[in-house]
Amino acid sequence: MSIGILTWLLLVPAASAVILLALPRSWERTIRGFAVGAMLVELVLSLRLLFANYSEAGYRLVEQVSWIESFGISYKVGVDGLSLWLVILTTLLSPIALYASWGSITTRIKEYAFSFLLLELGMLGAFVALDLFLFYVFWELMLVPMYLIIGVWGGKDRVYAAVKFFLYTMVGSLLMLVAILYVVSSYHELAGGYTFDLEKLSSLVLPATQQYLLFSAFALAFAIKVPMFPFHTWLPDAHVQAPTGGSVILAAVLLKLGIYGFIRFAMPLFPVASQTIGPVLAALGVVGIIYGAYTAWVQRDLKKLIAYSSVSHMGFILLGLFAMNRNGISGAILQMINHGVSTGALFLLVGVIYERRHSRMLDDFGGLAKVMPWYATFFVIITMSSIGLPSTNGFIGEFMILAGSFFSRGAVGFGSGWLVMTLLAATGVIFAAVYMLHAVLRMFWGKVVHAENESLPDLNRREVLSLLPLVALVFWIGLYPKFFLDKMDPAVDAFVEDFTARYEAGRNTAAPRLAEIEALRAERDAGKLALAADRSAGVGP
Amino acid sequence: MTALFGISPLLLLVAAGLAIMVVDAFSKDRGGLALVTSVSLFAAAAVAGSMLWTGDVPPAPELVTQYLAVDRLGLFFDVVICVGAGLSTLLAGGYLREHELERGEFYVLLIFTAFGAMVLARAVDLLSIFLGLETMSLGAYALVAYRRTSARAVEGAVKYFLLGSFAAAILLFGSALLYGATAHTDLAGIRDSIAGGTANPALTILALVMIVVGLAFKVGAVPFHMWVPDSYEGAPTPVTTFMSVAVKAAAVAVLVRVLVGAFGDPASMGLYTGWTPVVVLLSIASMVYGNLAAIAQSSVKRMLAYSSIAHAGYILVGLAAVHQVGSYAVSALLYYVAAYTVSNVLAFGSLILMGSKDREAVSYDDLAGAGHRHPVAAFPFVIGVLSLLGMPPTAGFFGKYYVFSAAVQAGGPMIWLAVLGVLASAVGAYYYLKVIVYLFMREPEEDQPIAVPMRSAYVGFALVIAGYYVVKMGVTPGRFLDWASSAASSFVG
Repeated sequence: MSIGILTWLLLVPAASAVILLALPRSWERTIRGFAVGAMLVELVLSLRLLFANYSEAGYRLVEQVSWIESFGISYKVGVDGLSLWLVILTTLLSPIALYASWGSITTRIKEYAFSFLLLELGMLGAFVALDLFLFYVFWELMLVPMYLIIGVWGGKDRVYAAVKFFLYTMVGSLLMLVAILYVVSSYHELAGGYTFDLEKLSSLVLPATQQYLLFSAFALAFAIKVPMFPFHTWLPDAHVQAPTGGSVILAAVLLKLGIYGFIRFAMPLFPVASQTIGPVLAALGVVGIIYGAYTAWVQRDLKKLIAYSSVSHMGFILLGLFAMNRNGISGAILQMINHGVSTGALFLLVGVIYERRHSRMLDDFGGLAKVMPWYATFFVIITMSSIGLPSTNGFIGEFMILAGSFFSRGAVGFGSGWLVMTLLAATGVIFAAVYMLHAVLRMFWGKVVHAENESLPDLNRREVLSLLPLVALVFWIGLYPKFFLDKMDPAVDAFVEDFTARYEAGRNTAAPRLAEIEALRAERDAGKLALAADRSAGVGP
Repeated sequence: MTALFGISPLLLLVAAGLAIMVVDAFSKDRGGLALVTSVSLFAAAAVAGSMLWTGDVPPAPELVTQYLAVDRLGLFFDVVICVGAGLSTLLAGGYLREHELERGEFYVLLIFTAFGAMVLARAVDLLSIFLGLETMSLGAYALVAYRRTSARAVEGAVKYFLLGSFAAAILLFGSALLYGATAHTDLAGIRDSIAGGTANPALTILALVMIVVGLAFKVGAVPFHMWVPDSYEGAPTPVTTFMSVAVKAAAVAVLVRVLVGAFGDPASMGLYTGWTPVVVLLSIASMVYGNLAAIAQSSVKRMLAYSSIAHAGYILVGLAAVHQVGSYAVSALLYYVAAYTVSNVLAFGSLILMGSKDREAVSYDDLAGAGHRHPVAAFPFVIGVLSLLGMPPTAGFFGKYYVFSAAVQAGGPMIWLAVLGVLASAVGAYYYLKVIVYLFMREPEEDQPIAVPMRSAYVGFALVIAGYYVVKMGVTPGRFLDWASSAASSFVG
């Protein structure tokens, strides 16, 4: 059997991690170089995914091998327009985060690199898995390395933060496991065989009452990961305590897995519940936007400020996602990339100043623009991206999300609710400008008030190299988003289309049944025709 | 002779036990005893395993089968018990020498206790159940008290002995009542008598309750768990390992045989199948109490004792689902027992490895920073606790997945049992992680004695085997699943 590109993507970090273990501890330079090199190989490999044809919806580069036959568990991976950019985001940010870490991580280098490779394996696996069991395995696999990265190399309260991170995620995902088992056992009753294959399970139409509980279990797991207000409390702790590299990965990739879980699993499997509960989640997203922004504003610790800004940005993504239209969902996916790029870069920039001053307090700085002009330049560019200034990537994403939410007509009777939410979310954009510019002002402008800051060295080569690709992406997405949107639009269109069909089917189903998506589409269209006929005949609503 | 091939693992162990006794009487050299004992146990496991592999169990004369089942379920438990005991022997080989406790009777006791456990796991008659139980228990009492100069060990052993005698008496009383009610001592006869309606209902139910209480004690399920923490803590760690894997497995086996074999057919049994709610309650109590109490412990050994109570709860989840999903649930339970065996050996074995003479590692503080000082010794510990915690891709995860999927398939209120179970195991994550926290994220206090890992080929070898199977049963569980389900389907349709 030939090994496909996605399997190579998983094999390279796994094999590198094993090889790394065999290297002697004293070969520090080799270990550093080898781990980053392996991740760069990953990056190059992942770029080959771009050459697949995404002009139609559906999974590409699918590989399937039976794993545990008696349970219908298979190793099935594939990529489509929804996951493509997230995979590339992961392979891009991982080497950057690890490379940037080598400035500050000087102890237990081998274990650090090992954890990072394992983490990359877990994240990529979760993004490409098309089997629920496999997804769950990768989803949990990410936990341990991240826990170690925070707990071993983190700040003063690292143990508390690490355990909190682990337990929050664990509770959510275990309930999701029970829900997965329920779905599989319902499928087993109807079809007579076990399967964890997402495509097969998607043909299961569950009645609304069952969907609510199951969706809640999935949503809890994903909402904790996003993190959605009020499940966000682990995030500031984790970010503040994590080493720079850990923060970058956490913000740039791990959080995205929550949103991705909604798109890939929770929404297609439980459409009725998503449509009904979705607006509530979107509303919590809006609460998160405002709450996150407001809390960010009053932070004195720069890293905490950015952590709360993440809560705010992730609220936008939730809003776009549950708007359930093309603009909203495309915007949400694009904004995931944007947030990964800009917040990843912000955490890198915080790491830069922390390495030099061992402080992240805004009060300790001021006038840095004179001392570190290049640092200031990069910081301001990324800030512009983060607050969504036109011509940067943030603008495109936020605009699409707000447009999607504005035109959303989700559940009945919630129409004007979307309008209000859009307005509130838009104030969040203003807030973002307030807290970010406030921070920039206090760090870079004015006089140098602290003598220690007068001789700080500017960015070194390693730091510039890690930031440059991100800055390039800021403008690339900001000026020519079409390149990115073109690859995901067909998948998003099909997603919205299928979702409505599944929604109609679920709403009209009293007992679980199996139906392929084509049949569901036909059903929905027939329903529409009948409704139109009724209307023209003057009966019905 | 070929007629007895079906119980050859048992005969092999008896022969080995007797031989070791003789050798011990005439030889001063204790060095090789651990090796000989573990080789005998692994050989017995291999014989049982090969029969399980080929799938055909040689027929045995009725003289045997009326007391001891000769079936794949029995073979499965032979493998689990012998592997658990064999690995514990290897651990003992390193531990006893390091702590200068090595005496020949240890291995003889261990091998006969394992034999008792295997008899118990195959028992299909009230008489053989009691015989097996007592053979196993007497050996276990002595093993707990093995370090006789230690007050803790004696306390643990006395508690275990007193409460164990109570439990055995209750079981015996229940057996007598059951005989009175049905005029049968064999489980098949009891089943037929109840199904035929000739049994006295009040007596039968009373007997059922007493038997469940007696066996729940041996399993270590709440509220019959009081002896577990003290005797697990007092016993030498290899004995603790042995008890938590082999003794527990045998008790689970006989619980399955009695409840499912004699009282298990809902079609003909009606009222008497009402043990399911009782098992559910035992399971909930064990999962909740075991996990919560484990959090409060400062000794790792005691934490693992409470965690073994919690794991008894997860095992009972599988038993509770038997009525609805039949052999699927039994197979889940079997897989869980096997996965728990290797995971627990890995965790206890690492704890043994972490200490050396006069510096035994027991509490969390002993482990502080050990992960950085001795990464090779800490690595198996991490894998072990992650498996107990239920992290993929380990044996523990797959075991949990399997029992909870049985509960979910059973449907109705059983789904909530699964929900409760996963929440309880999330609580469990806290104290298992504490091991990793201390290993890697803490440094020892200034004046604290630092545990130094022992060097022992025996312990190392046991950890390699256990670690290999923990990973293998998690990554490619296929073959083990086949064995578990073939063993289960030999027993329930």
